[in-house]
Amino acid sequence: MYIPPLNLGMIINSSDDNKEVIYRSGFPQPMNYKYIKETLNLKTIIYFGKKKDITKEYQKFTEENGYNLIVFEMDSVRDDNINDIMLEMFKLVLNKDNYPILMHSNKGKHRIGVVTGLIRKIILGWSISGIYQEYGIYTGNVKGEMDLEFINKFDLSDVKIDLDLDKLPSFINYV
Amino acid sequence: MNILTTGNKIIPPINFCPVEHRLYRSGQPSPLNFPFLSTLKLKCIVWLSNEDPEDSFLEYCELNNITIQFAAINPDFGEDDNPWDGLNEKSIFSALETLLDKQNYPLLICCGMGRHRTGTVIGCLRRLMNWNLASCSEEYRRFTGSRGGRILVELLIEGFDRNSIEIDEERVPDFIFNSFK
Repeated sequence: MYIPPLNLGMIINSSDDNKEVIYRSGFPQPMNYKYIKETLNLKTIIYFGKKKDITKEYQKFTEENGYNLIVFEMDSVRDDNINDIMLEMFKLVLNKDNYPILMHSNKGKHRIGVVTGLIRKIILGWSISGIYQEYGIYTGNVKGEMDLEFINKFDLSDVKIDLDLDKLPSFINYV
Repeated sequence: MNILTTGNKIIPPINFCPVEHRLYRSGQPSPLNFPFLSTLKLKCIVWLSNEDPEDSFLEYCELNNITIQFAAINPDFGEDDNPWDGLNEKSIFSALETLLDKQNYPLLICCGMGRHRTGTVIGCLRRLMNWNLASCSEEYRRFTGSRGGRILVELLIEGFDRNSIEIDEERVPDFIFNSFK
């Protein structure tokens, strides 16, 4: 029997060949490894949290299965360099070579809720109300004011990102 | 006069969420959500209420060649039909049959609010995918709002027997088939 990671969900699931997928979750525990290994077919794992929270066990699990583990040192949207972190996140998401991707934080609620919200807003063009609702589903509507304000204010229109247009994933309908 | 404008933003239906590859869940979509729905390129919608959806929604589906499958609580419109009733075995089975055929994807499964009936079918789908019961309940409760889960829904999910469902290797989507290997 499978035990998927806490708060597992999907951010992107629409590609025909099921290659361009982004999952979201809480921190995978050893009891979740079987599910991840056998069903998610991952290439990249992005962790938003503290490097020191990566356990030896987890490091070994990602190495053994050939997952590219990327850690963004992040506490919350109050971090000074939060815009840089999100910009780096977008660069990874906008390159289809990195897929399938799992993004996780510790509980899979607030930090990942923000990342999901920004992908919804910037890449998919969702309305803010729809983004808030999805954020609320995963957090149980607790402690989100700062996060929601950050999503609402986040703007990339003045930022120049170097993108390889041939590498853009197919789900983009709004850039 | 139009006082409401959506600009160039797309608005997902209430309680919308991606579930698996090309499978989505939500509450009943309103005309505000139609531009959003069109980005999903849906082929089929499973409607889990015993009340008919709004006319605008039916028209939208017809115009876009989307099949609606009515997995009503009482397909024969029995007198005991209440909007607040849960699903029964027959309606769960009928909804799952549609989910088990990859020809029906991309697929949206929805009910009035996208909470309990949709949650019941998704919960049974997770059991079919060999998820343990606690994980199924965790996912179900995520969508139920502040009043929490209903014990009757969780009983249905717990009682679901994955061996009672026949899998057709040729037709079943990969994310279900993989858990049978």
